[in-house]
Amino acid sequence: MSGFAPFMRALSAVVWKDLRAEWRSRELLSAMLVFALLVILIFNFALELESTVRANVTAGVLWVTFTFAGQLGLNRSMAVEKDRGCLDGLLLAPVDRAAIYLGKTLANWVFMLLVAVIVLPIYSVLYNTNLFIPGLLLTILLGSEGYVAVGTLLSSMAVQARTRDILLPILLFPVAIPVVVAAVKATGGYLQGLDITEIQPWLNLLLTYDVVFTAVAFMVFDSVVEE
Amino acid sequence: MNAKPKLLTVLDVVAGAMFVAAVALVFFYAPLERVMGLVQKVFYFHVASAWIGMLAFAVAAFYGVLYLVKKDERYDRVELAAVEIGIVFALITIVTGSIWARPIWNAWWTWDPRLTTATVMELVYFAYLMLRSGIEEPERRARFGAVYAIIGFLSVPLTFFSIRLFRTIHPVVIGSNDPGAEGAFDMTQKMTQTFMFSLLTFTVGFVTLLWHRVRLGVLSDKVEQLKLKLQS
Amino acid sequence: MEGPANTLSYFIAGYGVIFGVLAFYIGSLIVRWRNLKQDEAMLTELEKKEQTE
Repeated sequence: MSGFAPFMRALSAVVWKDLRAEWRSRELLSAMLVFALLVILIFNFALELESTVRANVTAGVLWVTFTFAGQLGLNRSMAVEKDRGCLDGLLLAPVDRAAIYLGKTLANWVFMLLVAVIVLPIYSVLYNTNLFIPGLLLTILLGSEGYVAVGTLLSSMAVQARTRDILLPILLFPVAIPVVVAAVKATGGYLQGLDITEIQPWLNLLLTYDVVFTAVAFMVFDSVVEE
Repeated sequence: MNAKPKLLTVLDVVAGAMFVAAVALVFFYAPLERVMGLVQKVFYFHVASAWIGMLAFAVAAFYGVLYLVKKDERYDRVELAAVEIGIVFALITIVTGSIWARPIWNAWWTWDPRLTTATVMELVYFAYLMLRSGIEEPERRARFGAVYAIIGFLSVPLTFFSIRLFRTIHPVVIGSNDPGAEGAFDMTQKMTQTFMFSLLTFTVGFVTLLWHRVRLGVLSDKVEQLKLKLQS
Repeated sequence: MEGPANTLSYFIAGYGVIFGVLAFYIGSLIVRWRNLKQDEAMLTELEKKEQTE
C-alpha cells in the first residue's frame, strides 16, 4: 500500500476514530482538563501568584500545566489502544504505519490544543492577565506540536514496557526539554512585550525541533510497533 | 568468546601509558594559570571528558541507526556500551565542572544553561537504561533502545545552541570568547599542547573501554543463551 | 596583581573524582567480566553433565 491518497485516507481514519471515541466518552479530555486546573491551583498556593510575581512566572506555569496534562493524555490514549487490543488491530490493517503515527499525533495535538483553549481564558480571568496575543497562540501551537510528536512515539514504546505507567514521563521529559524551554522563553517574551528580534531565536528553535522530532519519529515509528 | 585479541592488549598498554603521560603533562608541564591557580588544571580533563561524553552518545546514536537498518544484535551491543561509557564521562564532566566552579564562580552549582543541559543529557541516558530494563524481550529491547538513543541524541545539540542563545557565564573554550564569561583565560602554547594531548588520550581510552565493554556484552549474551538452553 | 589563588584543594578534589570514577568503572567492568566467566564455566559444566547422563 503506497501512494498519497490511501495514506491520507488511513491518516484521517485514525484521527476521526480517536476524536469520535473521545467525543462519546470524553474521559480523556475531562481528565486532562481537571488535571490542568488542579496544577494551576497548586501553583497558586505554592508560588503565591501575586500580580508582581505573576508576570514572570506565567509562562512557566502555563507550560508546566500543558506538559503535565499532555503527558497524561499521551499515556492514556496509547494505553487504551493497547488494552483493548486496538493497537494490534490497527497494525494488522493494511495501511502504512506512518499514517497511524501521524494520525495518533494529530489527535493528541488536538486534545492538547483543546486543553489550551479552555485553560487560557480561565487563566486570563483568574489572574487578570491578557493571554490572547497572536504570537503567544502561535507559540502554543508550535510548542505542543513538538511535544506530542515526540510524546506519541515515546508513549507507544512506554506502553509496551513492564513499567509503563511510570516510564513515559521519565522518557519524555528530558527529551522534550528543548521544546519546553524554547516555548517558555518565547511565551515569556510575548508576555513581557519584548521585541520580536529577541523572541525570534526561540521560535526558530521551536520550529527546528518540531520539524526534526516529527520527521525522525515518522521514520522510526515502524520499528517501534513492529511485531 | 575467544581469547583476548592482541590488538586490544596493545591498546590497553598504549591507553594506559598515554594516560600516565597526560597526567604528568597536566601536573608538571602545563603552566600555572595566573589568576585561578591550580584549579584551572582541572580544565584539561574536564573538557576531555565532555568531549568523550558527546562522542560516546554520538556513537550510540549512530549504532542505533545502524541497528534499525540492519537489525544485527552486534550493533545493539556497541550502542549500549557507548551509552554506558558516555554516562561515566558525562558524570565526570559535571562533577569536575562543579568543583572548578566553586572557587571561580563561588558556587558549586549555578543554573547556567551549559550545566543544566549537561545534566539533562545525563538524565536522558539514565532514562535509556530504565527503558531497557523495563523490557524483557531482547529483540524489542534492542529496537526501543535504538530509537531512544537516536531521539535522545537530538536533544544534545541544544547543549551547544544554548551557549550562544542564553547569556552564559560558562567560558567557551573553542571559538570566540564571550567577555561576559567568568573563568575564561587565554591558552598559552604549553597549555594548548597539554589540552590536545589530553583530548587524544581520552579518545584512545574511549576506544579501549568501548571494546572491553562490547566484549562484556558478547559474553553476557552468551551466558544468557546458555541459561536458556539449560532451562529448556 | 597578586599571585594565583590558592586552589590546591579543589585541584586535588577534581583529579580525585576523575581517578575515582574511572577506577570505579574499570573495576566494575572487571568484576562483571569475572562473574560472567564464572557463570559461563558453571553453565558449560552443567551442560556437559546433562549430555553424559
